[in-house]
Amino acid sequence: MTDYLNYAMKRLGQFALVVLIGINLAYVITHATPIDPVEQSISVATYFGDTAPEAIAAMRASLQELYGLRGGALTQYVAFWGRIIRGDFGPSLSAFPTPVSTLILRAMPWTVGLLATSTIIAWVLGNLLGGLAGYYRDNRVLKVFGITAMALHPVPYYIVALILLIVFGYLWPILPISGGAAMNVAHGWNWPFISSVLSHSILPALSLILIGLGGWFLGMRSLSSNIVTDDYVVYAEIAGVRRPRILFSYVMRNALAPQLTGLAMSLGGIFNGAVITEKVFGYPGMGTLLVDAVYAADYGLVLGVTTVSIIGVSLGVLIIDLLHPLIDPRVQVR
Amino acid sequence: MWRIFKDLLKHNGEFRAGALLISIVVAMAALSFISPYAPDVSYVVAPDVPPNASNWLGTTSRGQDVFWQLTFAIRNTLLFGLLVALLSRLVALMVGLLAGYCGGWVDRVLMSVNDTFNVIPLFPLLILFYFVLRDRMSTPLLAVLMASLGWAYDARLIRSIAMSLKSREFTATGIFSGMTAREILLEQHLPYIMPIVFSTALNNMNWSIGLQVTLAVLGFMDIETPTIGSMIYWANQHTAIVAGIWWWIAFPVALVVMTFVGLFLLAVSMNEYIDPRSRLAGMEGASQ
Amino acid sequence: MKRTRVVLLAFLVLALAIPAMPRPADAQGIPQDIPRKELLILENPEGTIKNAGWFNIWAINASSQSNGLQQAALDTLWYIDPEKGIDGVWDNSLAAEKPVYNADFTEMRVKLRRGIYWSDGVEFSSQDVKATVDIQISHPGMRFSAVLANNVASVEAPDPETVIFKLKQPNSRFHANFTVRWGAIWILPKHVFDKVADPLKFDFNKPVSLSAYTLHSYDPDGKWYIWQLRDDWQRTTLARFGKPGPKYLAYVDPGPPDKRVIAQLNHELDVIHDIAPEGMFTLARQSKTTESWFKGFPYAHPDPTLASVIFNTQNEHFGNRDVRWALTLLIDVKAVMLAAYRGAATISAIAVPPTGVHPEAYHKPMEQWVEDFEIDTGKSKFKPYDPTVGRQLADTLRPSMGEAIPKDPNEIANSFGLGWWKQNVQAAGELLERAGYKKIGNQWMTPDGKPFTIRLMVEGDLRPVMTRAGSMIVQQWKQAGIDARLDVAQGTLPTRRAAGDFDAFIGWSVETWGGHNDLSYFMDSWHSSLVAAPGQPQPLRNWQRWKNPELDKLIEQTRAIGFDDPKVIDIGREYVKLMVREMPIIPLMAYNVFTAMDQTYWTGYPTFEDPYTDPVPNWGNTRTMFVRLKPAK
Repeated sequence: MTDYLNYAMKRLGQFALVVLIGINLAYVITHATPIDPVEQSISVATYFGDTAPEAIAAMRASLQELYGLRGGALTQYVAFWGRIIRGDFGPSLSAFPTPVSTLILRAMPWTVGLLATSTIIAWVLGNLLGGLAGYYRDNRVLKVFGITAMALHPVPYYIVALILLIVFGYLWPILPISGGAAMNVAHGWNWPFISSVLSHSILPALSLILIGLGGWFLGMRSLSSNIVTDDYVVYAEIAGVRRPRILFSYVMRNALAPQLTGLAMSLGGIFNGAVITEKVFGYPGMGTLLVDAVYAADYGLVLGVTTVSIIGVSLGVLIIDLLHPLIDPRVQVR
Repeated sequence: MWRIFKDLLKHNGEFRAGALLISIVVAMAALSFISPYAPDVSYVVAPDVPPNASNWLGTTSRGQDVFWQLTFAIRNTLLFGLLVALLSRLVALMVGLLAGYCGGWVDRVLMSVNDTFNVIPLFPLLILFYFVLRDRMSTPLLAVLMASLGWAYDARLIRSIAMSLKSREFTATGIFSGMTAREILLEQHLPYIMPIVFSTALNNMNWSIGLQVTLAVLGFMDIETPTIGSMIYWANQHTAIVAGIWWWIAFPVALVVMTFVGLFLLAVSMNEYIDPRSRLAGMEGASQ
Repeated sequence: MKRTRVVLLAFLVLALAIPAMPRPADAQGIPQDIPRKELLILENPEGTIKNAGWFNIWAINASSQSNGLQQAALDTLWYIDPEKGIDGVWDNSLAAEKPVYNADFTEMRVKLRRGIYWSDGVEFSSQDVKATVDIQISHPGMRFSAVLANNVASVEAPDPETVIFKLKQPNSRFHANFTVRWGAIWILPKHVFDKVADPLKFDFNKPVSLSAYTLHSYDPDGKWYIWQLRDDWQRTTLARFGKPGPKYLAYVDPGPPDKRVIAQLNHELDVIHDIAPEGMFTLARQSKTTESWFKGFPYAHPDPTLASVIFNTQNEHFGNRDVRWALTLLIDVKAVMLAAYRGAATISAIAVPPTGVHPEAYHKPMEQWVEDFEIDTGKSKFKPYDPTVGRQLADTLRPSMGEAIPKDPNEIANSFGLGWWKQNVQAAGELLERAGYKKIGNQWMTPDGKPFTIRLMVEGDLRPVMTRAGSMIVQQWKQAGIDARLDVAQGTLPTRRAAGDFDAFIGWSVETWGGHNDLSYFMDSWHSSLVAAPGQPQPLRNWQRWKNPELDKLIEQTRAIGFDDPKVIDIGREYVKLMVREMPIIPLMAYNVFTAMDQTYWTGYPTFEDPYTDPVPNWGNTRTMFVRLKPAK
């Protein structure tokens, strides 16, 4: 048990280190951007009308004050960490004074909902079909499926999304192609809203699932085809255990462990937001939030979204690393 | 190495298919050297002409011949993928081998670094870099960036192989018979590692080309040099889909999909080859 | 095996069933329980709004101005129409008459209209105008704080109908700040803002409207806003023109350009703000109900904004007039128009947008002077102007576009413009040589012996047409032997433009009223006293940082005379001549906006034949459009 505790402590330490480095890296890069948020705001504000340079200078000074950009790099850095520790990412500069956390919390359900659902569906489907394909090697349907999955898997996501958009938005418009939910539907736990959310999520989810399916399928297929030749499986077959039972209880169960690791890593990666999905389908998630924030040089928002990403991904890996030795008795904890 | 390829070509259907696709793609890229049009000029032919005898794949809304533009595009895209794969293999090899052989704190430090790179959200970082570097973000620089972000996963793989090789008998034999570390590495171990490096390189190429296409389509790249991504970008700028100029998008997409599937088939068939059980199963006549 | 097959089959059936499930009648994006024939759906070009629930237009943040807030809900003293106007170009909105200045333009008196009410029942009065000024001066950092603080010494409201502005220095165009040309200083409700401790942190949600519509509902994710006609609409300034047709207005984010085309083809988007030229051609071809500003080519509405190549005249090369003219003579504007707009452009050789009332006052009367203008390169003398370029453009397009291209020379002049500078590579070379540049082989070298490099900055994805124009210009300069490159400043253009971090860029520093010939709207900011030192940020609009004593004289003359003084046009013509001689910016074309209007549910949109306002939906002036729209039948 102490072995495990040692291991756990080490992993936790590693987690903290990684998160720290990641956030600092993001901070440095964000502040190295040549875009000046004050300048962006001024250009928006002075869209019309003449303004004398003294007026602009006054506006610049007051905006800098407002955005907390006064003071040297070190002061800002210290202030930043002071806020992070309390979980406060500060106000968003481009959406002043709305706090960054509000913006993130607004976008997060869309991202997490879409990506978690599609990842899980792709995982379940992929593993199911992969296990079947690996076990029933001669089945033609599964072989065809295998080839399709292999053909689809390496295609860049953008292209799949584009094709779906053209087919269902333009050639055969039966599905909504933009937005998270229909207009003028009150947000809440009511059926019109829920069904609207569902129908708007079909295309983005479909594109994500189609892409993700192949990977799980191929992985599970090769894993299970390896296990199939293991002694205990051959023994079960000889002993007359029914094939489906062998497939599920013997083969797939044992092949599941590495796939679970993969699932955790994918789930962790959700927090990156699927930037391209959101751009193509107009989905109001964290990916769009991030890109807009970079355009506007909104330090607070960029750091907020990136921090959430880093923590999410690292947490996923940490949890799996901690659970793995407990699930799989074969794993030796070093 | 060559013997392996010959074997695969003879016995493995996937490898054959992959090789065919890739040779078509490479042929397209090679054709770019005899293109009658320079890659960066526009309005040299009548725009929006569908595929016909003189413009085999049609023309774009910018007055460029799709076929010849595509040859440049695929050439640049392939070169980019190759560059990234090469650079990241070097890093992955160095890190993986070092960590695997030395073990101890060297291993732990390198793996911590590796894990950090694994968890850093890639896309936001690339977008950030783009904004800091802007017009200085040339293709080689992007290649270096992506190479420095794409080695982590494969380094771990190489490390585990190195660790298992370290404890093999023939390594001990080599050491006892007085071979230097370098000789052991190059003559004994590399033949085991190379096939894996090769197949991961192919996957890596897929990944980097995919990412480059995505970035280019979003406009985060130099849009004057033709690449697959920039062709799609310009097609979107001119709303080609809605305007009915489908050939402008369809052919670059088809070609890049060919590239991806081809590379992937090659990688998969090499992987199967490396695992002796599946290789044997394959060679017994039942092709996958 | 059978069980798994059944499971798979079941899943397949379910997957196919989901799209067939009965959905509420929301289709792709029509709001619920609002009758479609009472609803006008317009595009908000600001896209998805981050600060969706924020309606405080007086604070600077990522809230929206053109989500209907400035078009349908707010109001201010005067409007100038960029076209002919519904009842003349000038509209006294909250003001009852035009502004009255004292002799030396240090005081402005305004007489207000009575009988106008806020949507919460409080009557509008001079107190609201005074509060608009006072609150923004005392809270620096608000949208109009700087302008007001700079100009206004004090503001008094002696009675509910009168406002007296006392200005810090003479300013004969101070009223322009309260005159809507797209937007202006909007009047805020004193009775609401008095109760607010910090107006910079106040979200003004739900907004109290002064104009005819109030907020009905909005999307907390920022994709749509729905406004509803007030029951007491007669108590607003819009009532003078009649009852607005649409009972509901929806401003939405319809997504990228191809989605907008699809939405209008499905009759789910009535007014598109802007799309690529190809999208417009598709709509014109495929939709019987789509209407645009021009009946045929070029379809688009020319905004009173002049897209040009803007040089950084503080740069070592572009401070020299010969270099600027040489670069102008290397451009073949027809090719640029074909590349940028597929030819659907209105060109202008002079530095005034060819729209609204300007062609009658500037372009046509000065055609003779421009034709006679002569350049002396030192080796030869010639007249660079070609008056037939507009016609040439039409002729080039006629084979492929057929009937859509007008044949009548007058129509061609209105749609495509008059003439432009003829491409003359030889003369350009001579001018460069006079400036000390040498051509070695195929490469032009600067006087210091380095290759002559130009980076032309464009905005990329955000302004695709300008990017396409820039791409073609770069190509033409490259062909002449200059190392020209396109510099895509995606998202960073405002910062770099202000900082002067560019050689040249495609943008605009000339913007006019459109409906009025006074050029001070932009010209005033070009005074040499406002030019920043190199390295310092430049306030708008003199992005080219050009100083010229003749221009200063013209500006000062304009400042001394009234807004409606006919001498304004004479000064404008002198400005045009100066700009032709010096060429600090290369005028290209009017900023054509491809606004498409669907007549399936509504008719009565403004067009070139009936130019009562401009249809571009994010302009504040579009409120007059609501009045003229009637349900289609």
